[in-house]
Amino acid sequence: MLSRVADSLYWMSRYLERTEHTARLIGVGLTQILDQTPQAIAPRWSRLLAALHVEPPVTGLDDPQTITRLLTTDAANTASLVSCITLARENARQVREQISSEMWEQINQLYLRMRAATIEQIWHDEPVEFYQMVKERLHLIQGITDATMNHGEGWRFIQVGRYLERIWATTLLLEVFFQPYFNGDEGAIGSIDWVVLLKSCTAFEAYCKVYTADVQAAQIAEFLLLNAESPRSIRFAADQLQDSLEQISQLAGGRHAGRAERLAGRLRAQLDYGQVDEIIAGDLPLFLRQIRQQCTAIHEAIYQAYITYPIEQALLR
Amino acid sequence: MYYSILHKTRFRYSAPVTESQTEVRMCPRDEGIQRLIEFHLTTAPYARINHYHDWLGNEVYHFDVATAHRQLLIIAESIVQLTPPLPLPDQLDGAAWAMLDEIAAHGDFWDFLMPSHFIQTTPALLDLAREIGAERRSDPLTVLREMNHSIAQTFAYAPQTTRVDSPIDEALLARKGVCQDFTHIMIALVRRIGIPCRYVSGYLFHRTEDHDRSEEDATHAWVEAYLPEVGWVGFDPTNNLIAGERHIRVAIGRDYADVPPTRGIYRGQATSQLEVGVKVVPTAVHIDETEVLPQITTASVQAELQQQ
Amino acid sequence: MPDATFPLIGQPPFEQYTLTGAYDEMFAPDGSVRPAYAELARRLRALSPEELQQRQRYADLTFLNQGITFTVYGNESGTERVFPYDLLPRMITADEWQQIERGLSQRIIALNHFLRDIYHDEQILRNGIIPRELIYSCRHYRREMRGLDVPRNVYIAIVGTDLVRLPDSQFVVLEDNLRVPSGVSYMLTNRAVMKRAFPRLFGAHGVRPIDHYGQALLATLRTLATDHRPEPTIALLTPGVFNSAYFEHTFLARQMGIELVEGRDLLAHDNVIYMRTTGGLRRVDVIYRRIDDDFLDPMVFRPDSVLGVPGLLNAYRAGNVVLANAIGTGVADDKAIYAYVPAIIRYYLGEEPILPNVPTYLCDRADERAYVLEHVDELVIKAVGESGGYDMLIGPHSTREQQAQFAERIRANPRNYIAQPTLQLSCAPCFIDGIIEPRHVDLRPFILFDGETTTIVPGGLTRVALRRGSLVVNSSQGGGSKDTWVLY
Repeated sequence: MLSRVADSLYWMSRYLERTEHTARLIGVGLTQILDQTPQAIAPRWSRLLAALHVEPPVTGLDDPQTITRLLTTDAANTASLVSCITLARENARQVREQISSEMWEQINQLYLRMRAATIEQIWHDEPVEFYQMVKERLHLIQGITDATMNHGEGWRFIQVGRYLERIWATTLLLEVFFQPYFNGDEGAIGSIDWVVLLKSCTAFEAYCKVYTADVQAAQIAEFLLLNAESPRSIRFAADQLQDSLEQISQLAGGRHAGRAERLAGRLRAQLDYGQVDEIIAGDLPLFLRQIRQQCTAIHEAIYQAYITYPIEQALLR
Repeated sequence: MYYSILHKTRFRYSAPVTESQTEVRMCPRDEGIQRLIEFHLTTAPYARINHYHDWLGNEVYHFDVATAHRQLLIIAESIVQLTPPLPLPDQLDGAAWAMLDEIAAHGDFWDFLMPSHFIQTTPALLDLAREIGAERRSDPLTVLREMNHSIAQTFAYAPQTTRVDSPIDEALLARKGVCQDFTHIMIALVRRIGIPCRYVSGYLFHRTEDHDRSEEDATHAWVEAYLPEVGWVGFDPTNNLIAGERHIRVAIGRDYADVPPTRGIYRGQATSQLEVGVKVVPTAVHIDETEVLPQITTASVQAELQQQ
Repeated sequence: MPDATFPLIGQPPFEQYTLTGAYDEMFAPDGSVRPAYAELARRLRALSPEELQQRQRYADLTFLNQGITFTVYGNESGTERVFPYDLLPRMITADEWQQIERGLSQRIIALNHFLRDIYHDEQILRNGIIPRELIYSCRHYRREMRGLDVPRNVYIAIVGTDLVRLPDSQFVVLEDNLRVPSGVSYMLTNRAVMKRAFPRLFGAHGVRPIDHYGQALLATLRTLATDHRPEPTIALLTPGVFNSAYFEHTFLARQMGIELVEGRDLLAHDNVIYMRTTGGLRRVDVIYRRIDDDFLDPMVFRPDSVLGVPGLLNAYRAGNVVLANAIGTGVADDKAIYAYVPAIIRYYLGEEPILPNVPTYLCDRADERAYVLEHVDELVIKAVGESGGYDMLIGPHSTREQQAQFAERIRANPRNYIAQPTLQLSCAPCFIDGIIEPRHVDLRPFILFDGETTTIVPGGLTRVALRRGSLVVNSSQGGGSKDTWVLY
């Protein structure tokens, strides 16, 4: 497979995952924040922005429409939905012949809808439904990808992109919620916020099945970090990531991403054998930051192995 | 005369670059009064070097450096021998103009008669042509000699006033420039009156007694015009010289665009800085060919026979 | 049911059909149906307009769903459009095809000789058959190719030649496309769609197949490399997704099972071309390039090109990679050189041209220029180095203002223009807005040449000027296309 194609598939996938994540966070934000007191709104939006790595606006932090515009239709904001879907679509367009027509059509349709959307119209209609629609479209795209594309090398690069992005985004989200808790400011995080966190990961129902509706910080951390079965947990994503990297190594033939595989293997082992009480007893925010550093290292190792490797190391035949 | 030439080029990049590709036209030509004895090209970082003849008969060396590098050094070393050219007649026959037209119509000289990248007939050039009388009159050789002289008189030699990609109008309007500009201007004037004319890049050996205007530690350029019965004759409008034993020819072309000493491309977000140095020295001792393996004479053969 | 000779014009579904001065592909001047179209006529009479409409809609939908589109330049940021498709096939009889095939083979072989000659010994110039100046002043003449030997001496491996049919039924050559001819994917997809829309009509006719074009192209490309690499890696080099023919590039790469690469996927190292894959650098032996010369190698041609591969020409010169087509072939499809093609055929092959040229006036010649300037309103004027219907004037269909503009351009740059009489292109029946009407058509067959044999799949792209009375068939200028059936 051409390196450029692998690169485009990887980034298409990362941007799609990012779009879904952002839409999900806005959706949860809207439902959970609407019934809050005005004083409670601003810090919560501010936390949401931090979880998406977006600078808060100078004014209007208590105005949902300002915040949602920034995160949805503001093309100047590289993290907005319209920016993310545009980049996802641009990468898909570059490899249009490598993905299925069904995938392309869905991505393109979502892009066109997002381009046409205005925040006034969204608020005039039903904002929560709009973000629900975006999220569902992205689930549809993911389903179509898995159902219509050969599960070969290209699909594996899509998996790598999706799960690396998911680990990155989830650790950032957890960090933002757990930081005050670790600062000893336990009062800043109420049970309502823990529910927001779980819902932000589409994990509230799944959590309840395991731990009942009793929301406890340690249990939440355990569930989102170490659960082996929840597709939203970091451990699950790390498992998928390592599997895909191993598959790519076999499929690409000739080159091995030894470093990327080792790094992914170490991350996986760390989570497979991790003990939540130890992690909580230690410095959880630091632990999360270290996971993100490992993600960066894995990303770079993948590039070194498959995309931008030095010529003198890669001559075949 | 024997000359040793060292031509050193250094590219420095503001950030590491990769996959650089470079073409080099630095190998002296081996024809006419000039014989190429040795040519050697080395690079740092090391690269495997390939070469080919381009469509003008120039020897082009090229290489690529794949690894990341911040500097590229190219060293070209050559040894050439030049013999004195045949003396030119004082002037040509008056019928030479008609013969030129005949040659132009039937020979393969179109490339050196038509406009090319740098050779354009601009209003400023026409002004100069009027001013110095660059028209058909007397005979072609006389006109060329006068033109060579006039350009040297009219234009001041001023390094760094023009760039390698400057159109001739810059020098024409400023009335100053370097050898490349004077050469382009002269080619444009010469082609306009129907004489095939080409660009020569090379080196000039400077003797202190000559007071040449061109810079000693740089490459040089001059023109060659085609004349009936005489063939290609070199004129150096920078120094008002007829090219001879001191002009070492490296590459010929329609204009500079065909013969740059280096041409290259690289991958990376970097700006490059170019430094060039040239040194031409006569090789210390000239060995007379008859000193080694003297010619076999009849007497020596007979002596040999008697010994047996 | 009346037999085929019965005049059908005026009867359903031909009630709107009229014969003009042009040759009509379906009807003889007396209104009787030509034998090759008899079966189609019978079938059309049996179908209701609604059924025809339904099949047209079905065909349109197939194109849309398959994403068969092209990009229009000059339009806001490259809009993609579906290439309009006409439902009624154009028929070519076995005899007609035989003549076309022989004529095109002859022409391609002669043009290939010509290219080899002008980049080597220049005998045709020395012998004064073609003025040297005409070659040297051609924008597509590449001095870098002088003295360079190309594999098997093949310069033009892939060609698309435009033919038109005149009122006397003769096919003539309108232009040669020797650089990066396009349209073959439409020929193939038209056929695929037609098979679904009219499955039974095929059986009744005996239509020669064209589906093997992909294999034939691949075989040609492999043959070019055989002297050099027995198991060559072949890639199709595209300018990228924004190119108007990108669909065709992906289509052909898929048909041949070869990698579709962009310039940035390739690199030159030690005079060898590699492509960057996830498995490492893989050597590339043959490049079917769909990029113009100008953009191929920024070291040699346009330095601002980001579509090409720096160092490609040196690897090519060293014989380490094959390019199809070779560099510099555009000199032979320059519209001024076109006027000399009959002379080129006579010179190299000692034969008379089988397919005639259209009379052509070179504006570079004073006497011919004077004639052209006096008859701007009657002639078709074309820029010599352009294709796709750009920079062109059709005298009789132009305004005085446009004519004056072109006269000015000719005076300013005579070498850049030629003129031809306005030709009456033949007409074929087309199904337009629910009725069958005649429209002007041309024919672009696709020729492959491997140094020994020419292969022409029996068919081609029939392009249709969809506007009534229009003579412009280019897709970029409102043209459409239809399936072309060469009969056994």
